[in-house]
Amino acid sequence: MEQPDAIIHQPVRLKIMAALRPLPQNDPIEFVRLKALVNATEGNLGAHITTLEEAGYVSVEKDFVAKRPRTRIALTRQGRRAFEDYLDYLRGIIDAAAS
Amino acid sequence: MSLSSKEAAESLAQAEQARRRSAQLYSYSRTAPHLILWGSIWVVGYTQSDLLPKYEGWVWIALIVIGVITGAIIGRCSTRRPHGPYAWRMFAVAALAIFFVFSTYAMMWPLHGGAAAAFPALITGTLYTGIGLWAGLRYVVAGIVVIAATMGGYFFIHEHLLLWMAFVGGGSMILAGLWFRTV
Repeated sequence: MEQPDAIIHQPVRLKIMAALRPLPQNDPIEFVRLKALVNATEGNLGAHITTLEEAGYVSVEKDFVAKRPRTRIALTRQGRRAFEDYLDYLRGIIDAAAS
Repeated sequence: MSLSSKEAAESLAQAEQARRRSAQLYSYSRTAPHLILWGSIWVVGYTQSDLLPKYEGWVWIALIVIGVITGAIIGRCSTRRPHGPYAWRMFAVAALAIFFVFSTYAMMWPLHGGAAAAFPALITGTLYTGIGLWAGLRYVVAGIVVIAATMGGYFFIHEHLLLWMAFVGGGSMILAGLWFRTV
């Protein structure tokens, strides 16, 4: 990778991807929990999730629980791979500078 | 766009911090229903032992069976992986803990009532504290509260130890479970 993945490199999206990474493949996280985790406002988080969803990096599920809307987000296989590539890219820069 | 090594290191540190916090909260959220379940079992079991000691053996056996089966069901329902290892691991951990407690009772027999009542709670608190050294501060706090409640009750509240264990021990577990559910 010559350039960092511009979609992941944005600080809030980086936090979103990093927060989703340790969760098991099919275990999505609720929007409200993710909001608290990345310390973002609702609108800001929603916009970044849309960007990640359009890139195919996250999947978004919307349903109702006890008549209340619930939004859940999970990392896709493609997103997981892209994030690993991004981390490798960062490590590569650090290793190159150290050697 | 190219990054300096300093910028790369900062991004990696940010990602690692978010990953660690997320993993910790995920672990808390998975543990929460089990804390609430076993806290409720303590409330019912110890209260019953105080009020109707004649039937306490049978009631505790029934409660433990309910706890183990419900814990396995919670484990199975809390993940979408149909054949994930989580459910049977929870079952195995509960079975191991029960085996340990009753094996110790058998070796140390005869135990007086207070020791038999306090020992499982002490083990539970110690386990949570130990797990917390790796898994997060909330486990340590929950474990220390259960240990303190158990030791305090055992040494200072002899007459009403069972009720103390029901409401302070079991109540602490339930409150810890509710705390574990928060972000």
